[in-house]
Amino acid sequence: MLYLLIVGPILAGVLTILFSKRDTRLFIIFVQIVQLLYALHIFIDVRLTNTIFNFMSGAPEGLSITLMADTISSVFILLTAIIFLMMLIFAYHKDYFTTQFGFLLLVLEALITGLFLSTDLFNLYVLLEVATVVVSILIMINKEKQAIYDGMIYFFVNVIGTAFLLFGIGMIYRTTGLLEMNAIAEALPLVEDPRSLYLPFALMMTTLSLKTAVVPLFSWLPKAHGTPSAPPVVSALLSGLYIKTGVYMFIRFTAMFEAVISVPELFLVIGFMTSIFGFIMALGQNDIKMILAYSTVSQIGLIMIGLTMGPEVAFWGAMFHIVSHALFKSALFLAAGQIYHYYGTRDIRQIRGVMRTMPLIGLAVLFGILGVTGAPLFNGSVSKYLIAYGSDAALVQFGLNVINLGTITYFLKFSTILFGKDERPDEVKPMREDRLSEILVFVMGTLILVSGVFGPVSIDILFGYEATVFTAGYFQKGIIYMLMLVAGTGIYNGVVKKSGILDDISHIELTFNGIITSMTGFFLFVASYLYVML
Amino acid sequence: MDFITGEIVGILLFFIGLYGLMTKKSIIKTIMSMSIMESGIYLFYVTINYVPGSVPPIGQQGDAPFVDPVPSALMITAIVIGIGVTAIGLTMFMHYKQKHGITHWSRNRN
Repeated sequence: MLYLLIVGPILAGVLTILFSKRDTRLFIIFVQIVQLLYALHIFIDVRLTNTIFNFMSGAPEGLSITLMADTISSVFILLTAIIFLMMLIFAYHKDYFTTQFGFLLLVLEALITGLFLSTDLFNLYVLLEVATVVVSILIMINKEKQAIYDGMIYFFVNVIGTAFLLFGIGMIYRTTGLLEMNAIAEALPLVEDPRSLYLPFALMMTTLSLKTAVVPLFSWLPKAHGTPSAPPVVSALLSGLYIKTGVYMFIRFTAMFEAVISVPELFLVIGFMTSIFGFIMALGQNDIKMILAYSTVSQIGLIMIGLTMGPEVAFWGAMFHIVSHALFKSALFLAAGQIYHYYGTRDIRQIRGVMRTMPLIGLAVLFGILGVTGAPLFNGSVSKYLIAYGSDAALVQFGLNVINLGTITYFLKFSTILFGKDERPDEVKPMREDRLSEILVFVMGTLILVSGVFGPVSIDILFGYEATVFTAGYFQKGIIYMLMLVAGTGIYNGVVKKSGILDDISHIELTFNGIITSMTGFFLFVASYLYVML
Repeated sequence: MDFITGEIVGILLFFIGLYGLMTKKSIIKTIMSMSIMESGIYLFYVTINYVPGSVPPIGQQGDAPFVDPVPSALMITAIVIGIGVTAIGLTMFMHYKQKHGITHWSRNRN
């Protein structure tokens, strides 16, 4: 009955549109709770028994449209339901939570759940295309000039990117006559000439790299996730959850091609480059939302590193990092929204004293920062430890440490908003009417700490992977973290504050044509890499 | 002229569309290039694995083999999506042009 998770929210959304004159917020939250309970049921079912398959319209396995819930996807649907419930509760008192907004969120949830469950290639294409439309409407929901421009770039770039996927699917269908991913994975080793699969692989990987926003295809992400006027809920959803659909599809597609084409080293290098680019760009930003958006680019790079490194421990570390990133990044984006509402600016140089004016939000931001930088006992540290544990190579360790140092440095810059004193006169300060969302952000903040303290347990519960974390190595990492904090402070005060170069670098942006050209270039690069190296 | 098959023409159309997207700064031309690109994909799909002389899979099977109906079925869906996407793209563009008078992709965030 997996399809209920996809059909349910859409039907509920249509119902809310029918009764759009009334207040539908409580109904939407109720639907969300039901969805969460059902996702939890599926999750427990999968963990206790085994992978659940759903063959639509009774057609035989391999030919029908298939929904599959296995260890990975069941965690993701649970995560989706939890994050969406939190977003809706956060938005409950906000004036942008209209019926239309709730409808779009419900549809987006159904689409994301569908992307996690479906194993049919064409189905994935349809879901991606519709999700692009919904997301771009959500970005533009305030109809401001900048938001419409960013939304248009997001929309066109993603539609064109998905066309690559459709083309790749056509080539796969031409070779194998199949659309179901598990069946294709079995059929691919039988293909006589593996070279005929290089082109579809390159086409599909172009789309997935665009969706995961790796180098050089990340230019759309800061525009879409950091749009000034988009509601914080939208930014948090995009950055915390929606970007993970790309990562998830990357896992699935590489598993599908594994028997014929396996190029983890390529994506390992791309992951490193993404992560390093992400933090260099983040260092020069002054807009709190833009810092968070570029931080997402950097963290996605880290996840890619873990996924492609090879050892099991790094893979599950990266999976846990996906969950942790979803928690701390959505908490940080929501907090940024609250801060923007109260201070009326997103400029990091003008916001001071969040800790004093909004203690709950301040604590949540602090926990989020500690989580993302990997402070001991917070969830980021557990996943980063596991990722680092996967490799002994000195170069990889060095790279990971550089990434972490970069992360700490730009979050030190971010954390300047917490301290100091709000120097505005009292009359310009707006009312803080919304206690509910502040409490919710704080709850998310504590979740970061809880899932970190019980890190190995949460990995075991979520993925059934037993990881030993609290060893001498982990505490050694803690000491390294302290040293990095000192080094980061030094770098920030010594170099970043004064240097104009970073400021210049961070304002480099590709035009629309530039984005498409880099997409084509990436496609040609992957294709030629396959033809030359394999 | 054996090499002019639907598949080859489809691939060519795809890359012609891509060229347009890479070089044209006008938003309306972007939408047109996108449509050309998608038409290339439709043509590629409906001609894959076509055996000359095959018949549609309707009624009794004679000597001729049946055509694979799946690509055509997929393309009906894809065409509908394509129309929707083009319509949404045009709507965004019209709104943007009427409100702010901008017709080209600009270099900088404003």
